[in-house]
Amino acid sequence: MRRGMLMRGWMLAGIRRNPGPLIGTLVAVVTAATLTVASVSLLAAQATAPAGRLAGASVVVAGSTQVSETTGHGEDAQTESAPLSAYRGVPASLAQRLAQVPGVASAAGETGFPGGVVRPGDVDLIAVTARPGVAPDVLAQRIKTALVETAPHGGRDYTIATGAARGDLANLSVAAERVNGRTLAASVVPVIVLIAFFVLAGTTALSVSLRRRRFALLRAVGATRGQVRRAILGELALLGVAGGGVACLPGALLGAAGARALAAHGLFPPGSTAWLSPWLLLISCGSSVLVAALSGWIAARRAGRVSPAQALREAGAADPKWPHPVRILLGLGAMAGAGALMTATFDQNAPDSQLALAGPLLMVCMVAVALLGPLLVAFAAWLARSLCNVAGRTIGGPSARLALASIAAQPRRTASAVIPVALAVALVGSIYFANQTAIHNAAVQSASTVTATDVLSGDGLTMSVLRQAADQPAAAGEFSGVHAAAGLAPITVAAADPDLEQIYGEVVAGGPLSQVLNLGVTSGSLTSLRPGQIAVSALEAGSGALGVHTGSRVTMYLPDGTPYRATVSAIYSRSLAAGDVLLPADVVAGHTGTLPGFTEILVSGGTAAGLAAVAAGHPGLHVASRSVYNAQSQQASAQDDFANNMILGVVALLAAVSLVNTLVVATVERRRLLRLLGRLGTTKGQLTAMFGWHVLFVAVTGVVAGIAAGAATLLGVTRAQTGAWTPYITAGPAVTIIAVVGVLTAASILIPFRLMTRREPTLSPLAS
Amino acid sequence: MLDGVTKRYGRRRGAVVALDGVSLSFPAGSFTAVMGVSGSGKSTLLQCAAGLERPTSGRVRLFATDLTGLSQRRQAELRRRRIGFVFQDLNLVPELSIAENIALPLRLDHRRAARADIEHAAARVGLAPAQLKRLPAELSGGQQQRVAIARALITRPDVIFADEPTGALDPHTGQGVLRLLRTAADGTTVVIVTHDPQVVRFCDRAVFLHAGRVDRMMYAPEPAAVARVLHELGERGRG
Repeated sequence: MRRGMLMRGWMLAGIRRNPGPLIGTLVAVVTAATLTVASVSLLAAQATAPAGRLAGASVVVAGSTQVSETTGHGEDAQTESAPLSAYRGVPASLAQRLAQVPGVASAAGETGFPGGVVRPGDVDLIAVTARPGVAPDVLAQRIKTALVETAPHGGRDYTIATGAARGDLANLSVAAERVNGRTLAASVVPVIVLIAFFVLAGTTALSVSLRRRRFALLRAVGATRGQVRRAILGELALLGVAGGGVACLPGALLGAAGARALAAHGLFPPGSTAWLSPWLLLISCGSSVLVAALSGWIAARRAGRVSPAQALREAGAADPKWPHPVRILLGLGAMAGAGALMTATFDQNAPDSQLALAGPLLMVCMVAVALLGPLLVAFAAWLARSLCNVAGRTIGGPSARLALASIAAQPRRTASAVIPVALAVALVGSIYFANQTAIHNAAVQSASTVTATDVLSGDGLTMSVLRQAADQPAAAGEFSGVHAAAGLAPITVAAADPDLEQIYGEVVAGGPLSQVLNLGVTSGSLTSLRPGQIAVSALEAGSGALGVHTGSRVTMYLPDGTPYRATVSAIYSRSLAAGDVLLPADVVAGHTGTLPGFTEILVSGGTAAGLAAVAAGHPGLHVASRSVYNAQSQQASAQDDFANNMILGVVALLAAVSLVNTLVVATVERRRLLRLLGRLGTTKGQLTAMFGWHVLFVAVTGVVAGIAAGAATLLGVTRAQTGAWTPYITAGPAVTIIAVVGVLTAASILIPFRLMTRREPTLSPLAS
Repeated sequence: MLDGVTKRYGRRRGAVVALDGVSLSFPAGSFTAVMGVSGSGKSTLLQCAAGLERPTSGRVRLFATDLTGLSQRRQAELRRRRIGFVFQDLNLVPELSIAENIALPLRLDHRRAARADIEHAAARVGLAPAQLKRLPAELSGGQQQRVAIARALITRPDVIFADEPTGALDPHTGQGVLRLLRTAADGTTVVIVTHDPQVVRFCDRAVFLHAGRVDRMMYAPEPAAVARVLHELGERGRG
């Protein structure tokens, strides 16, 4: 160990005296560490809901706020639980019993909705105040004991809260949103962190491979392989500590901003604050040291293994021209893996986040591109040379030939520039268009799903409004009045089997449904949905987690934890618009924590005047024709995509940093070639043309490879979401992505080139 | 000492035989020039002799140690303790100061590099103490070669291998560097690979390689005679 330290202290002179080649690595470390810190602080974000109306209570007693399921037996038993979004309710009479507990000053039942009695004889919760001098915790313990003695199931089914925990009882949705937020973060964060470290690994490998001759000299004068490895790893560890330290503050700020933004968009509970702690510094430095060292490990091993004699020959000979056969095999393996993943995703349920599905596929495609990059470059160079020599005519002149010759001689070097370009296109393109495809398909489906002539929306859509709408008198000269009227309201239920998975669906009342909605029923009937019945989407029923068919028995937990045992009466295919389950409104009423009501009432038949008359009686209610309604909902879904846009923004930023970083480092490294060509009498114009051809080659090859990798991902995601192979791609954004990548590529190569030629005396304007 | 050393590059067909059964010995304290036209195998000979490359067949011994059987680690240790190197160019680590470059083999060997030892080694090649703090890029080509010689001498090696040490220098500076090497080596075995006939002025012996074999040897060689032989070998290669 001491020997290692000694070695490092000595070899770190490179960082002190010539930090240039390492700046790229530092930028990548700082970027990766910033994102890691932000992600960790988001993952550990705290949401403390204010106690609000319960602030005056010492202890709050409510029914259990979560539903639990135990699967397996004995040692294998596993208990899953999910938070409820509505109060389970406790008997109002419990308040009197609690009032007799020693130390209780008062105990009063509370109901969130004074007007609408949820269940007769029940209250949402009981607020208990303590006598002076009795600590809330002591009182809570006494209440618990009292409940164990008197309540039917012991104290188990009650939640007893004091202090900050009262906030969660004051607003049940906080706990549910907390879980949703965590699920979102947990599915997205690993993918982003992985991408960040993928980028870092590429930069590290480049920075090491550019200095191979130097390491070869060390080997020649007697450094062992281990010493060269340790020197590189020591250097990376130091960069890791420095980068991690620098990244801590921006990472924490980014995390805080992210938590605020997510809370503002309802994806995190209100009042969420990112986790801020001195530990973040340790996590930041620790993770970047670890990852820098890990990503440098392979590069360091390769540098240590280089034969000193070979490396000391002519410049460039140090680099093997072709990738190691193992690398090619791994690359082909990654391609096969991408194919396997693509078919595997067909059997997957539609995920909450596009990225959760796209992530693994995208990663495998990226690895394949990175591993096979040199082969791709060699092939593209051969193709370009053939193109230049079409029919014996030479297109492009000496500059193009020179550029292509240098590319063909060093496919690995060029590949290190092409790979980030391809990754930028693949990452941004597939994530953006996967989102667009989902939004587009939902809009198209919902447009063809609603067959009602008119839609009522707004506040106060109660059962009585539905009845009025259904019972409009037939207008003079009409055959009949309203054919069908149905109310819809969104609901989230938890499927008992398996794992209390949250399923989004709709509550429906009225009918016949088939006259207002065309859900594409594949089996059973949706004419009406009676208590004891449930309709399930084909996606959820078929290959999804539920795995049911018409006639199956299922158990769903309603928002207040009440189990609903039902028979599957219909399976329908169009689930992007209506969600994955339909439940009858009668069953759900009183179990949602809100007054029974609808967000939309769909009406077929009747007259405009009749509906207007209904609306006139209820302020805040709007009537829209089907086409107007469809246009409105399409617009709303396009705007409400904050989480995906945030992910896209982070990924785009990461891709851009990686692209610019790598290309600048790779271009500066060509200084020797520039100097040599300048001395040979190459004019500045010729050199500019040569680098221009280089830009063209890197951009075109990278974009083509990126489109291939991105298309594979996009097709897999599209197939999983819609069952079809047609992603929704619009020309505008596609051209924009390619154009931005092209401009960044050109700028990152040509700006350093300009700066270098300006400093070279042989390339001064006089010489050209 | 080389014994039947063969080095082939590539495999099977299309393989290039760089050395073809070369047997040579370099007596302790001798100063030998290995000469030949480009592609005669002289650089490969030096790399095999110094343990930078493993021969395809045959043995290389440095005094009692058989290099061919050594692990990579032992070879590296041997290089930094008993062998000194001077290359044509790219001799110095650009980020390290002159003093640090000279001390490099000691540091790699986990030994202390005393300031006095470094200054002494620098003085032997005519470098002033004031220059020790500089970086290689601030020195002329000739001065950089002197630093490389000082680095090769610091470990008091058994043998110094020099690969075209004057190749990148003008004739005058080159002669100066060689004179220095001769006097500074003082009893150390030196093997110089070169195609420069002027180098042999300082050598006890010249070994001529042709097509991977030892063609002839010349003791107390004269530049003019050496130039004739090289010309003849060049013509033979063409015919």
